[in-house]
Amino acid sequence: MWRAAEPFPHLVIDDFVPADALAGLHAILDEEPVDRHEGDLFAFEATAPEPTTAELRGLRDAFAATLAPALSTITTKPVTRVEMRAYAYRPGHYLLPHSDHQHDLARALAYAYYLPSPEPPLGGELELFRCRVEGGAIVATESECVIEPRANRLVVFDVSNISLHQVREVLGGLRISLAGWFLP
Amino acid sequence: MTGLEELLTARIATVVPDAIGTAHAAELRARFEDTGYTRYALLDRGSYDELRAPREPELLAALITVASEVTERTLELAEARVLRLVAGDYLLAHHDRVADDHRVELMLDLSPAIVPGAAVHYRRHGNVYFEVPPRPCAMSVVGREPSVSCSHSYVSKRHADAVVVRLVLQLTCR
Repeated sequence: MWRAAEPFPHLVIDDFVPADALAGLHAILDEEPVDRHEGDLFAFEATAPEPTTAELRGLRDAFAATLAPALSTITTKPVTRVEMRAYAYRPGHYLLPHSDHQHDLARALAYAYYLPSPEPPLGGELELFRCRVEGGAIVATESECVIEPRANRLVVFDVSNISLHQVREVLGGLRISLAGWFLP
Repeated sequence: MTGLEELLTARIATVVPDAIGTAHAAELRARFEDTGYTRYALLDRGSYDELRAPREPELLAALITVASEVTERTLELAEARVLRLVAGDYLLAHHDRVADDHRVELMLDLSPAIVPGAAVHYRRHGNVYFEVPPRPCAMSVVGREPSVSCSHSYVSKRHADAVVVRLVLQLTCR
């Protein structure tokens, strides 16, 4: 399933967390400071790259310990650690197409986990693009797959120089997620 | 130019309001539309319509004259193009054409109406140092050293009928 996924390897897992654990996740995020971030590529609200509370650090480490062994087997990319931030996309927020791949960073896999929202988002889908490469350069891009930010859904996808993806603009409601990367 | 002249030219960043009338802007938009745009859609870099080398010699000459007065330099045209952005469009900084010499960029906003948030940002070493806000009929003149990049911000789909039209001139000092 991982390798067969188009346009590049990815997994979608629904009902990832038992329903009775969701309230606890919200309680952890309520304590974490959030700042607005805006650049030519993005506009959203997010927590700091390194969690400030022991609870979110604990959640991040438990997430890594639970998933990294299985993902290492499934993807054949050995991963052990996780970077995790919480994101809030409000109307007008977006993340334009990019690959996550940077030579000086060891991002092996990317993930996004969507939390239940008091106002489920309109828009905010994760969109994956197929890239055509010639001579080492991307010469064409085409939308191939659109994944709704459904509550309690986990998406994991490969990071490479052609793992082009975006978060479509949120047009209404609130999109809440935990997202980041698995690292060796 | 001497090093000092290059430095002074690079630091120029200004907006001239009401550089063109709304009727003239509408005529230009119609002529560009008739000529035809080409869609650019390598989405990791940008999403927009482009019209290269618009045939408007009198307008370009007049704009270059104004830019020369603003910069107190003798400028000549290196390149002209028209960019048109609609809802969902953008042009990222890493897609910007960075020249290896010192240039002046002139931009004339020909949009029919203000599109909230549709700004142009100039960055030096990644940090925004000058923002051109959406302002139909205004003209910006910005000195560009090789370390300067430019981005055209994302046009929100909340403004479904938004149209942004910008005539962009790259000018070199004679």
